[in-house]
Amino acid sequence: MSPKKANSAAQNNESTSELIEDKKKLMALIDRAQDGDKDALPVLRRVLDEEPRIARFVDLARDVERSIVKRMSGDDVFSQEAIPRNLKAMREEVAGQNPSPLERLLAERITVCWLELQYFEAIYAQNIGKLTITQGDYHQRRIDKAHRRYLSSIKALVQIRKMGPAVQINIAEKQINTAG
Amino acid sequence: MSPWERRERGGLYYTRSRKENGRVVREYIGGGPLGQLAALQDEHERRQREEQAAYWREEQQDLDALEAPVNELSEASDLLVRAALLASGYRQHNRGEWRLRREPKESQ
Repeated sequence: MSPKKANSAAQNNESTSELIEDKKKLMALIDRAQDGDKDALPVLRRVLDEEPRIARFVDLARDVERSIVKRMSGDDVFSQEAIPRNLKAMREEVAGQNPSPLERLLAERITVCWLELQYFEAIYAQNIGKLTITQGDYHQRRIDKAHRRYLSSIKALVQIRKMGPAVQINIAEKQINTAG
Repeated sequence: MSPWERRERGGLYYTRSRKENGRVVREYIGGGPLGQLAALQDEHERRQREEQAAYWREEQQDLDALEAPVNELSEASDLLVRAALLASGYRQHNRGEWRLRREPKESQ
């Protein structure tokens, strides 16, 4: 492995472990708050305020997007250029005008999940005549999972928007106002 | 079991075994050049199957590696959504619908 690649892998591992730590911390607090522990709410707000978490998740989404685009386009330089442009337009359309940081993240997630689904469906369509029944089932299951992820990404954004102005918290010193 | 069977007169005879209705059926192909040819053909097909299986395994691993961070992103953003809703005074009713708590919200 080249030093540059090793460095990038180390950075990825580091950010992944940070994300996992974040997730554990958040999960514990969410469970407490969900169980009616009122003391958990101010801690939850503080945890959400602590670091630019959303930016980190957005970075993760962009990394995933880049790796899928790379695989999809191969050596085709036109696709390498065109796909990210289309994705950008889609992201902006989904996020809408003046999106909150959380809405922006959810728009990133929707775009990535959509791209993943397109990719898995394309692989399946390209190989449909060559696949054994087991391999076909395997691809179908993967597509189904990607489809579920895509639908739940849309549901999350709809949920946040449906709640209206009540969902206002500060994340990384930026107000999240989901009133749209 | 070797596909080459030694006959009583000392010659080698090439055979193919396959399963039919759960039973192993042995097909007798021939000895000499015919047997050699069939053996070469079988060897070639076996290698092709192995290569395809290796390619398939690699493809699965690549797709798994691609899927993992999307899962991670989905789980993480779901947590952030839940955290944001809880911090804003919502409560999930029976792991389904989110409803605003009845009690007055805590001041920030």
